Amino acid sequence: MTTAPRAEKPTIFIAEDEEGTAILLKFLLARGGYTVVHAADGQQAQTMIDQMPPPALVLLDIMLPYLNGLQLLAHIRQKAEWQHVPIIMLTADSNERDIQQALAAGANDYMVKPFNPRELTARLQRFLTVPS
Amino acid sequence: MAHVGWILTITIHAFILLLFVWILVLRALRRMTERRRRNMVDVWRPLLAESLVEAPATLPSIHPRDHVLFLYLWNSMQESIKGEASEQLNDVARRAGMDTVALRLLHTGRLRLQLLAVATLGHLKEASVWDELVRLAHAHNAFLSIEAARAMVRIRPKAAIPLLIPLISTRSDWSPLKVMALLNEAGADLVAIALAQATVSAPPPIAARLIRLLASLRSPSALPIIRQLMNEQKPAEDVIAASLSLFGECSDPQDLPMVRVYLTHPTWYIRVQAATALGKIGLEEDEARVIGLLGDTHWWVRYRAAEALSKLPSMTEAKMVELQATLPTVESQEVIMPFLTKLRATKTATALPAA
Repeated sequence: MTTAPRAEKPTIFIAEDEEGTAILLKFLLARGGYTVVHAADGQQAQTMIDQMPPPALVLLDIMLPYLNGLQLLAHIRQKAEWQHVPIIMLTADSNERDIQQALAAGANDYMVKPFNPRELTARLQRFLTVPS
Repeated sequence: MAHVGWILTITIHAFILLLFVWILVLRALRRMTERRRRNMVDVWRPLLAESLVEAPATLPSIHPRDHVLFLYLWNSMQESIKGEASEQLNDVARRAGMDTVALRLLHTGRLRLQLLAVATLGHLKEASVWDELVRLAHAHNAFLSIEAARAMVRIRPKAAIPLLIPLISTRSDWSPLKVMALLNEAGADLVAIALAQATVSAPPPIAARLIRLLASLRSPSALPIIRQLMNEQKPAEDVIAASLSLFGECSDPQDLPMVRVYLTHPTWYIRVQAATALGKIGLEEDEARVIGLLGDTHWWVRYRAAEALSKLPSMTEAKMVELQATLPTVESQEVIMPFLTKLRATKTATALPAA
């Protein structure tokens, strides 16, 4: 499911296959004043990344079908215009190795699921100016 | 005779017509149910999400037919969040009277509804059902018993852990992943010491199972007890292998001498665990020890030794290439290949400019 981006709002790209988490993220981000673009699997995410302009921030789930979050991360960092987009990884558990690998490969931060909505907002604020 | 034939034909046609009408009625009913459920989801999903930020002033009433659907939606959202937002969802459920519904569902005797009730009451931290949950944690059905155990942990973690450790020790039908989720929910430090203490008096297969859980928890609080177990008794091989795995996961340099001792153990799977652990805590001086294992008779030992070698802090791609050329057997040269490739891939990935 994709929400059409609007020019005046910063766009956040989410790659998340868990429906409940995706709905929640979309709601919280839309409420926070962002435009949300969502891909439900790794392959869809890759296609969208290749077609869309760089967003203000990316939320990438590590465990995704077809292409995982780490592969998408590598793909993003190879694209010149996406290289400086902040990326926050989402992981279902605190698997240190995945997190270390993601941070070493260019992720800016990570968040463990289930997450605290306030923590999400705080982490986003580190990278973005919250729209009024 | 002709009359009988006509009557039979008309009866058959009437029956077919009746069946057709019945199918249409069933389809219409199913569509109505689907529409009602969709409406329910459309109303409640944003309302539940909204309640994470701000408590809604009023709540729409929920038709008794939709109670179960509401609880599925509510639990699904509870599984995605943590912190004070969970309490805000609890407030909504209580205001909608869903605590009473969950208490009723707990006693329906239908597994699906009982599971839903147990999960709901756990999230609600409903202490009044504690005794019922303790009873259900001993249920024969693995899904129901572990869900009850999880609810107990949510309600009173400190009281739940001593009651659950005997079950964790013996319930081999409990999914290790679910057990890990339960232990993590209780808090690694709270459960680590209790689990470690249980290993001391447990028979070797159970002790090994508990130590493997400790290794997954990666909590260093268990280490003193496990070290004592390894030093004072003559531990069983399963216990040694599990303990080495724990030492590797916790990566305390204090355990390095013991890990090195087991690199030459006659049992192959102990050598596997020792090599793996050394890959996590080893030093430059361990290179020669690990290289020695590349010529092991068992394939898994050679494989884990190669992996360990690639993870040693002193190891570089150039050193691995040089080593590969000097190895005496084709097997040991081949086993290095995947890790050499991985080392090159990591180097390439980290060389890419980050944001």
